Amino acid sequence: MPTVRRFRVTVNGKVYEVEAEELAQTEAKTVVHDAASQSNRAPEPAFAKPPSAGVSIEAPLPGSVLDVKVAVGQSVDAGQVLVILEAMKMENEIIAPDAGIVADVRVAKGHSVSAGDVLVVLQ
Amino acid sequence: MHVDKDKELARRLAQIEAMGGPERTARQHEMGKWTARERIAYLLDPETFEEIGAHVQHRSTRFGMSTVDAPADGVVTGFGRIDGRLVYVFAQDFTVLGGSLGEMHAAKIQRVQDLALKAGVPIIGLNDSGGARIQEGVDALNGYGEIFKRNTWSSGVIPQITVIMGPSAGGAVYSPALTDVIIMVKHTAQMFITGPQVIQTVTGETVSAEALGGAEAHLRRSGVAHLVAADDGQALDLVRRLLSFLPQNWMEQPPVRPSDDPVGRVEMALSSVIPEDPNKPYNVLEVIARIVDGGDFFELQKGYADNLVVGLGRIGGRSVGLVANQPRVLAGTLDINASDKLARFVRFLDAFNIPVITLVDTPGYLPGTAQEYGGIIRHGAKVLYAYAEATVPKVTLILRKAYGGAYLAMCSRSLGADLVFAWPSAEIAVMGPEGAANIIFRREIESSDDPVQARSAKADEYRQLFANPYVAASRGYIDSVIDPAATRGHLAQALMVLYNKRDDRVRRRHGNMPV
Repeated sequence: MPTVRRFRVTVNGKVYEVEAEELAQTEAKTVVHDAASQSNRAPEPAFAKPPSAGVSIEAPLPGSVLDVKVAVGQSVDAGQVLVILEAMKMENEIIAPDAGIVADVRVAKGHSVSAGDVLVVLQ
Repeated sequence: MHVDKDKELARRLAQIEAMGGPERTARQHEMGKWTARERIAYLLDPETFEEIGAHVQHRSTRFGMSTVDAPADGVVTGFGRIDGRLVYVFAQDFTVLGGSLGEMHAAKIQRVQDLALKAGVPIIGLNDSGGARIQEGVDALNGYGEIFKRNTWSSGVIPQITVIMGPSAGGAVYSPALTDVIIMVKHTAQMFITGPQVIQTVTGETVSAEALGGAEAHLRRSGVAHLVAADDGQALDLVRRLLSFLPQNWMEQPPVRPSDDPVGRVEMALSSVIPEDPNKPYNVLEVIARIVDGGDFFELQKGYADNLVVGLGRIGGRSVGLVANQPRVLAGTLDINASDKLARFVRFLDAFNIPVITLVDTPGYLPGTAQEYGGIIRHGAKVLYAYAEATVPKVTLILRKAYGGAYLAMCSRSLGADLVFAWPSAEIAVMGPEGAANIIFRREIESSDDPVQARSAKADEYRQLFANPYVAASRGYIDSVIDPAATRGHLAQALMVLYNKRDDRVRRRHGNMPV
């Protein structure tokens, strides 16, 4: 017997009531009930484009991008400098935690970023 | 008759020696773990282990326990030597009832805690336990409580070191948390208050035990673990290494390890380690490596709040604790986690008579709502408290930036540093040149035809006047501006003259450190 549970979800100040049905592992799949609920989704690209299985490299502190050292498609080694972020009067080197391929670059030279903003996505 | 009695002893000892038996031992090995006895044998100097309470048995009768035989009640306790120095040790054995903690198991641990505290001998706990022995109910709970109490009473009297070598869940995590240093073994050790199943039920979050409480999680995210080892052997090697820096107890000095590294060694590389451009980062570990004996630095909590480096080393054979801002991470700012890391480390050094050397290069406290709402005020206050409270020799070296509140916090003269050195690259000021120019020369800048140019000119003017060590030195806040290449010699001299330092605080019950 599938159990249906109801939730109240607040997105950007708007309250939505949703029903969630718990499925057995084998029958789990995404079901979109109507088109209206889709259009209600936040249009923010950050939400629409989740860092699928990639590693998001975030700004550790607020600052401005002084230089982007990598381009999409480029492979990088662990410890390689991806972005130079000027913050706290310091040219902070944002480095790759692991080797990988640059899947996305979300910032460009001169951009201001807040702490937690995604700078680069590695795959 | 005698023969029978000897045989009886041998029979009993063999049973105790075998702990959970060959099958469970094999399973333990399959998991990549050693048994309690194998761990103790590896940890201690050969043939030095004396077991205490081997014959202790549980006295639980409920839930079928009356017929359950639990050799040593699942924990091996006793004393032995490491590098010839006495230590007490207890090691839980997962092969006996899953290393679960019952009344008598706990009593054995309490017994070595009591002995260690009375004799002023370090105690090492090797944890590998499924948690409280449910069948023993509140007696098991009481066992934990009695251990926590002794951990607290021993704190600052004798070094207490914990190695997590298996599961440690619920109340079991709090004895380790009350000790000085926690070492975790990768993949086999997990610590959490509530496990993945409870979290799933209560909050719906799905998380694996390893992701929740594994060594990496506690080293990098929670800051609970001080050191992480790849396997049991490496973890026990870390215990031996750590102890080599520590005294037996708070009334003794740490052991001296004579070194053939000359204390006056001149390091030309230190003259060029600081980049010309004050906005460029560098790795402060390079400075530390050139200061300590043989470049041998034992870093703690590496991976957590790396904007601040803490660890142990030696200068002239004597233990020192090093605290350093790391300009390469978060610009070397002080934040909540770094403050926590620093304060706990400095208090650890102070408890065990280890001088503290502070290397300063910080632009200040990290700005932001997350920091303010997170309580950077009370967390940052711990830094001031720990330094001002400490009575061990305190030597400070300002490498570059030392601005405002962070200058004061990083063991300034004002907080009680015994000797303060600075490199010629030091900038000691109430704030950075740009910020200062904006405030002091605001009118001139605003009314100028070219405000950008004016701001830059005024910042330069301010930098010329104040971004150097000489203003602070002229007031006596800095004792000496030194040649970076000769740093090791100066620090060694400073430690030497402070070796017999005596310092007291006003009598009181205890201070009330912000936590």
